[in-house]
Amino acid sequence: MAKVTVDPTEFHYVKFDADTIAQLVGEVADLVGLPADALININIDESTPLGRTVLTSTDPITLSIEGGAFENAKAPRELSERSVRDVASRLLFRVSDRLSGRFDDAPPEGEVPLPHNVAWDVHSVGRSARAGINVSKPRRLYHFRNRHGFNDVADAAFETLWNADQLSWAELDALVTEVAAAKTPA
Amino acid sequence: MKKLLQPDELARDARFSRVDMAERFNDKRTVNRDVDGEPGISSRNQRRLSPDTPGASDAARSLMHGIFVGEIQALEGAGRTCWDFEVGAGEDKVPFELKLDMARQCWDESRHCEISIKLSEWMGTELGEFGESAFLFQAACNADPVLRLTGVNRALEGLAIDVFNTMREFGKVAGDPVLEFCEDWMLADEVTHVKMGSDWLRRLTEDNPERRERALEFQRVVDKLFSLGGARGENDDSPIKLARRFRELAGFTNEEVDEIAGLAKEAAEELAARQAS
Repeated sequence: MAKVTVDPTEFHYVKFDADTIAQLVGEVADLVGLPADALININIDESTPLGRTVLTSTDPITLSIEGGAFENAKAPRELSERSVRDVASRLLFRVSDRLSGRFDDAPPEGEVPLPHNVAWDVHSVGRSARAGINVSKPRRLYHFRNRHGFNDVADAAFETLWNADQLSWAELDALVTEVAAAKTPA
Repeated sequence: MKKLLQPDELARDARFSRVDMAERFNDKRTVNRDVDGEPGISSRNQRRLSPDTPGASDAARSLMHGIFVGEIQALEGAGRTCWDFEVGAGEDKVPFELKLDMARQCWDESRHCEISIKLSEWMGTELGEFGESAFLFQAACNADPVLRLTGVNRALEGLAIDVFNTMREFGKVAGDPVLEFCEDWMLADEVTHVKMGSDWLRRLTEDNPERRERALEFQRVVDKLFSLGGARGENDDSPIKLARRFRELAGFTNEEVDEIAGLAKEAAEELAARQAS
């Protein structure tokens, strides 16, 4: 299993447990197929209830997480193991993509355009679902439609992204371009 | 059947989880980040809901789930108001016509529940996915029917007008026809519910200015409490924009809407001060 470190090790604003998070992320890393000797750093900003998540680095693998992303929506300030698995698998599949060579043409993290980010997330979460992680496909579909349009072309692109196992950046970019054309009035 | 049911006696199945409002209000995380140079203002509440922001769809889902449980409680509240008071002229009694209005509101709220369930499904939300706070029903527990209608119909259903209008705009900008039309239909009913509150407040307190002032004070308390830490306002970038025109249609005067805008600002400042201490 990958070696996972969590910062901070103790939480004051929320009722999170660093060891639990490390254990869950390690299990997810195995499901994603990352090497057993991978090092993964999880930096959590517990001072915000917002839920932004960022892949800060692939070497070493570093995920920056706003506390709301790991929070139980039913119980404020409590940890949601489902959310940890959901977020970690989405970001670690992206790590896997970047390390595969298929996404060498992709812009660096932070410069990936929002439509591409949303599409890439669908590709990741679809694989998470097939890896046995409890994710919500309808939630992703709604998120995708908000970004790419409420039309049949966007829905077809969503299914392609969701069901694919090994897209490249060029293929993902082509799908985003196709749905953008369908969204723009002639 | 029991009268004056308490919020913790509301029936919910295992999917739902109750959230304590005190815990939510005392969550110090909401003020820990400076926004546009203003410390102590909730960053969650300072973002206008727009499809261009990365977390917009999840924020919309959460907000609409809050509306959904609010619809359940509005149904329960209007139903209790039909039952809790006998017909008569005293302060603990109501005219029969008020009960008819509440029965009509129950019909509307039932429809809103069904619309919200379908809308949740459309938005990819599981019923009970988010915690439920019972603040609407709590306002509907007041023993004075005038205060109850003022707190629920004018304050909280007024808030619903602002939220529905905001979400309708979000749906329009995102190109989501289902969200836009659902919000539009429910918004029309909310205007009627708020108008009922305004009309009954004036009719029942016509000869009793002291009772009217008590009711308006209760409304002020509820309005301020649920200005969502300053999220509701009149600026274009306010996450929930005061729907001035719809409030006028619902029987609010310009001065009353100005007062709500002022209360929202005060609420933001007080929240920041309380949580910074």
